[in-house]
Amino acid sequence: MVATTGLPAPEITRPRSLLVGTMFACAAAFMFFLAVVGVYVVERAEARDSGSEWFPEGVIELGPSGFIFWTLILSIFTIQWAVQAINADDRVNAYVALALTGLFGAAIFNQLWFIINDTGFALAADTPQFLFFVLNGTFIVFLIAAVVFVAFTFIRAMAGQFGPRRAEAVTSAALFWNTVVFMWAIVYYLIYITK
Amino acid sequence: MTMTDSPPVADTAPAAASPRVVGLFDALTTTDHKRIGRLWLRSGLLSLLSATVLGVVLSIENSNSSPDDLFGGVNNFFQYFSLYRFGLVLLVVAPLFLGIATVVAPMQVGATNIAFPRAAHGAVWLFMIGAGITVVSVAAGGGWGALDGVSSGERDAIALTLVGTALVIVSLLVASVCIATTVVSLRTAGMNLLRVPLFAWSMLVAASVWLLTLPIALGNLAVVYFDLRGGPGEFLRNRTDLPGLVEGSDAIYTQLGWLVEQPQVYAFAIPVLGLLGQIAPVVAGRRHAQHIVAVILIGLFGLLSVGGWSQPWFQGPNHDEKSIFIVFGLFAVLPVLGSIGAAIDTIAKRSGEGDNAGIAGLLSVYGLGAIGAALLLLAGTVAGLARVIQPWDLGGRTTTTAVMNLALYAAVVAAIAGVWFWAPKISGNQLPVSTGRLVILDVVVGAVLLGGADFVNGFLEAPAFAYQVPNSTAPLVAAPSNQGLVDAMNVVGALGAVLIALGVLGVFAALAKAARTSGSVDDNPHGGQTLEWTTSSPPPSGNFSEPPERVVSEAPLLDTVSESGEES
Repeated sequence: MVATTGLPAPEITRPRSLLVGTMFACAAAFMFFLAVVGVYVVERAEARDSGSEWFPEGVIELGPSGFIFWTLILSIFTIQWAVQAINADDRVNAYVALALTGLFGAAIFNQLWFIINDTGFALAADTPQFLFFVLNGTFIVFLIAAVVFVAFTFIRAMAGQFGPRRAEAVTSAALFWNTVVFMWAIVYYLIYITK
Repeated sequence: MTMTDSPPVADTAPAAASPRVVGLFDALTTTDHKRIGRLWLRSGLLSLLSATVLGVVLSIENSNSSPDDLFGGVNNFFQYFSLYRFGLVLLVVAPLFLGIATVVAPMQVGATNIAFPRAAHGAVWLFMIGAGITVVSVAAGGGWGALDGVSSGERDAIALTLVGTALVIVSLLVASVCIATTVVSLRTAGMNLLRVPLFAWSMLVAASVWLLTLPIALGNLAVVYFDLRGGPGEFLRNRTDLPGLVEGSDAIYTQLGWLVEQPQVYAFAIPVLGLLGQIAPVVAGRRHAQHIVAVILIGLFGLLSVGGWSQPWFQGPNHDEKSIFIVFGLFAVLPVLGSIGAAIDTIAKRSGEGDNAGIAGLLSVYGLGAIGAALLLLAGTVAGLARVIQPWDLGGRTTTTAVMNLALYAAVVAAIAGVWFWAPKISGNQLPVSTGRLVILDVVVGAVLLGGADFVNGFLEAPAFAYQVPNSTAPLVAAPSNQGLVDAMNVVGALGAVLIALGVLGVFAALAKAARTSGSVDDNPHGGQTLEWTTSSPPPSGNFSEPPERVVSEAPLLDTVSESGEES
């Protein structure tokens, strides 16, 4: 039997740079988003305190935004599927999962564009409509960034740059994607559910 | 058939590459963290010189109770007043610390380069572009609002200022990600977070706080920008009813003003404590007596400087009367006091051994700078403490300016001390000691005069912005209780601003003198204890000729490690 108590402690496993950097970037992106959310919440509270209507009744529908929400929930599974597949060195599944996630992103963009046109809001009309654009627009910017990140990861995966020992980039893309999904959960609750 | 009888004329002497062109090409393409850091430092120092000159002009104008003489009106005065404040934070202090950290932090943690070097390089150029746009747009009539209302002619210039500010903030965020990631993930073997050198640790804390708070300013900027460019104009209207300002005037400044007020302004001075903790053991020639305590105190100071929540937009005009604001103001002084105490403990133990080297270290440029910066920061947090004592009612008065000036000039002094301390690693030479002492003394005394005058004026009920817009319907600016004394203190403040500007000129003189001096520099001329002093001066590409040995404490150069791995 080998005595292990006298052996030196194992090396600390360092977190990888890209993953750590993405974590910091996600935190910064989320704080930016929260700043816009904060302005929206303060303005809405002031409007309600003064007894004025925020959004006109019946203009904002729950259905289309709900589609976005559930599509994003699905995309959480597909992006994690990609992470699991790349860790298992299952490249075909990783390609399919990343492509599906990107496709979901494009679908969400399309749906959001429909919602924005469907409401008939104008940027300069009043504060609620202006903030509707700003909050949804902020989400769209981050969604585009997430889709680009996933697409870039997909291309690098196709080039064979990732594997079980080099799955960091896919995990980082998943982290950013999940952050964006969480952003939509907030937008969905604030604008579309509680209006 | 091709005629080959007359071969093409070859260049007999290849054109020698012009050093200037090579230098420019290198500056545009380098991924070496030391060169990137030097770009940050040059930008920060240039901004510092401009800001201090502007500070002198503003102080002189302020001391004669009329904004018309030098600026031609209250509106122009307000725009340059805003540029000075935001510039000191975003264009001076943050880039100076990022520059030092970009050079030093990777070496301190034993890394061969900074994390994401291309992003770090892109950030510094983005910063320069953003800073240029900001300054030019303010000169063109932009700024962060217009006191007499935003006219259609001013909209474009103001929008440009907002874009420039946003670019600067994005560049600072990218650089912060690079620094924080370097300290977290590129540490050498054996260096856990408690063994990270205190300056690198303080930069990790500072970068984290900046990453959590500067995006809030960016969010505010985005809302204002789109409102300006096609929104209903709601976010351009005054919401705080500050005396002396008209409706539709200071809204943009108000939404960003929290960046230069407590507690957020302390976030830009976090590395002051790191530098103090880094230099105290060098001065003492022994290990830091309270390293773990210093690590905790720097983290605590970072926590108490998170200020994104404190902006009037979220908290309302009376945000400084809320209990959380008061608690942050009261407790911010403790980690500063504690850090100074830990440094004194470290130095006193050396002095207790009867060695004069400690005294000599204290009188070095970096020793004087670290102590001066820490005392200025202590003064700033004490002024901040006074501001939150409700019966004194110092909110909206010059006390807020005192807190800003003391905290930010503490950061400037620390950055100057850092440049002197790490000059062998930054530029491969040593900066002149006598000039350095004079510079430190000059800037510290100037900051005390500038901040002290504002602090006293706060108790004399002098408002933070003293001028009334002509024909304004807004509430009148309340007159100070003793206008004569306020005017006298404004003259003292102007004298302080002049001293600071002279000190900054001294920095440039010292840099110019050092650039003309040739000669080799020791690898470790100050007796440093951390990994950056194990490499040559200037460091080679890749920083270390061979990987650093496994680290077993926070002062690797004081360790003697036997082959069995046991520290003796």
